[in-house]
Amino acid sequence: MRTEMLGMILAGGQGTRLGKLTRTTAKPSVPFGGRYRIIDFTLSNLANSGVDTVGVITQYQPLELNRHIQNGAAWGLNVAGAGVTILQPYASSEGEKFFEGTAHAIYQNIAYIDSYNPDYLLVLSGDHIYKMDYERMLRAHKLKKAALTVAVMPVPKADASRFGIMNTDDTDRIIEFQEKPKEPKSNLASMGIYIFDWPILRRYLTESYATDGKMEDFGNDVIPAYLAHNEPTYAYSFHGYWKDVGTIQSLWEANMEFLSPTNSLNIANRSWRIFSQTEALPPMFLTKTAKVSRSMLTDGSYIAGTVDHSVLSQSVRVGEGSVVKDSMVMPNATIGKNATIDHAIIGENAIVGDNGEVIGKPDEIAVVGYGEAVGRKEKA
Amino acid sequence: MTQGELSAVIDLNEDGEALMPLTAYRPIGTLPFAGRYRLIDFPLSAVTHAGVHSVGLFMPQSARSVQDHIRDGASWNLDLIQGGVFMFPYIATRDYSDPALRQRYYDDYTTFLRRSGSTYTVIIGSSNIASVDLTAVLAYHEAGDAPITLVYKKLPSEDFTPDDWTLTLSEQGTASAILRQKDRHERPSETLPAFMDTYLLATNDLIDLLDVAAGAKTFVTLPELLRDYVLANNANAFEYTGYLARISSMQRFFAASLGMLDDANYQSLMFSAVPVLTKSKNEVPTFFARGAEVSDALLGTGAYVEGEIKHSVISRSVVVHQGAVVENSVIMQGAKISTGSTVRNVILDKGVVIGPNLKLEGKPEAPLVIGKNRSILKMKDLTPQPAG
Repeated sequence: MRTEMLGMILAGGQGTRLGKLTRTTAKPSVPFGGRYRIIDFTLSNLANSGVDTVGVITQYQPLELNRHIQNGAAWGLNVAGAGVTILQPYASSEGEKFFEGTAHAIYQNIAYIDSYNPDYLLVLSGDHIYKMDYERMLRAHKLKKAALTVAVMPVPKADASRFGIMNTDDTDRIIEFQEKPKEPKSNLASMGIYIFDWPILRRYLTESYATDGKMEDFGNDVIPAYLAHNEPTYAYSFHGYWKDVGTIQSLWEANMEFLSPTNSLNIANRSWRIFSQTEALPPMFLTKTAKVSRSMLTDGSYIAGTVDHSVLSQSVRVGEGSVVKDSMVMPNATIGKNATIDHAIIGENAIVGDNGEVIGKPDEIAVVGYGEAVGRKEKA
Repeated sequence: MTQGELSAVIDLNEDGEALMPLTAYRPIGTLPFAGRYRLIDFPLSAVTHAGVHSVGLFMPQSARSVQDHIRDGASWNLDLIQGGVFMFPYIATRDYSDPALRQRYYDDYTTFLRRSGSTYTVIIGSSNIASVDLTAVLAYHEAGDAPITLVYKKLPSEDFTPDDWTLTLSEQGTASAILRQKDRHERPSETLPAFMDTYLLATNDLIDLLDVAAGAKTFVTLPELLRDYVLANNANAFEYTGYLARISSMQRFFAASLGMLDDANYQSLMFSAVPVLTKSKNEVPTFFARGAEVSDALLGTGAYVEGEIKHSVISRSVVVHQGAVVENSVIMQGAKISTGSTVRNVILDKGVVIGPNLKLEGKPEAPLVIGKNRSILKMKDLTPQPAG
């Protein structure tokens, strides 16, 4: 078997900053935008870019992710001799192989990668919302004869200290990397998307793990080592919508941005569709008392109340007299009668009882966890 | 139930004349329903629910919409290692005076039935919308004395047209005949048993029936054979009490479509013991813009609504622009209603475009129907166009 570029999605992180939303599920399988889960964006980008061999590295609470990805058919990734493989930690004669970091997770799956003998390894996160053509990035990588290409995007100077910042020369070659610098020298933030020449990365990883084993993380260990050894490392600039939805606040913001008809993500563009596992659910039902504006709804929902500026996932019920405003509601949540949901995220299968109140603020989003039932006033 | 014990035959050759122009390029079986489904989803969901492994689809003249919808049957869990969906092409001329074509008519059925390895076969039409639990029908059949079981629902007598099929029931609850309403000769009663075009019998009995018919001098279609069989042998009559809509005319189609807005109908069809399966598409969520006013409506995904919708059924990817009003109407996939236009009591087929500032109005009992992909940009475009 041989494949030019193999995709590896790092989907094992716990996502602690998403609080109770990731208590029982991995961050990439958190619902997003009404009918998607976060990892759908990365998987669809791969499928649309023509990268049909993909490993999904899981570790933390992988059940829902497994169930969602199945054999990859929903993304057209059920390809004979290629397709999606879920990679979980395993025990071997050398001991257990839980992943210590991003680069370590790749090292532990060398056998999988070698089985495809790729020229290039595309390393991705499973928790970003964006549309990107990885094939174009690969072309840039080849053109520069790079050993490593890092996708970057300009961020406001004020935010730069929250990211890994790349300083480049005028050929886009990366000359310095600063992880979350106090005084950033540039505003080019790493998007956590890497294309490696696989033979070179393989050598770095195997040599490291044969000796000190320090190559645990791409940002902290591998990129600095590449720069120190003068490996040709280039930045690839991305212009477009990109959002890391790693916190409650950013997840909520991304959903609200998703509602904007002028959002540059352009979800309705059929030439770069976002695919997802779809279920055959009844059409949405809006009763005589329903009022819906500036919102997105999807299949199986039953709306008798008022929904304004909100994203509702499939099979959500909103009872008569209830108001859902500036909120995101995940699949199968039930909101009773005369309830108020404002600046909130309601988890999957959650229940807000009659007259319940879940009220947050724009900078302090209220959260009801998966399967949680709330009846009385809940303030953030 | 043992998997594969029951096989199913769905014949999509149903008379769609009363549903023109909606049936100009599709059989009744692929008429869109409730913003999300095709009529054939209901029998297919019923057979899947009953663990049927082999489904024979006898294709209509215009088979494209059926092929496109069914594909490999995966949406109904019918992409199986053993069994699956078997499509039999339309026999071009339907001229059964030609012995070769007659032979093929019966052979298609018997070949399918022999290979299915099933003990029983259910023969089901696609113009009745219902959620029949076929495992219950099979259990009823096994407990009954007659060699064939028919499914019916009692409906008020005033809900029948002369051509509707009914059952003649005996005191013991067995059926002695399948008759059109106009052929019944009995005192008027409050209700009549509406025959739901659903037969269940032993596969071997059905094969024998077809083999005998193949050797006869005159050509008899499968439904005719089965009706004669009931006359000769009597039938067990299974009473179904769930949701039923008989889609045999435009008026019934329109009434059943809007009837889904009645909560009781919606719940009893969508949330019965038989889940309704259909081909899903990766459509974006439906977007409701600022100022949209939508109530008393069913909508599919991928729609974009700026205007007003009331008491209507809207399929996926429909666009309703600012100032447009959709009332008491059925709008199919991809139709577009431009700004300032009003449509009331209409059915817009797939891909219809209504230009700006027009007013299209049908009658509640006789909707205005605009055929597939037509553009109505000014009122005179409404003059019926020759099909093409």
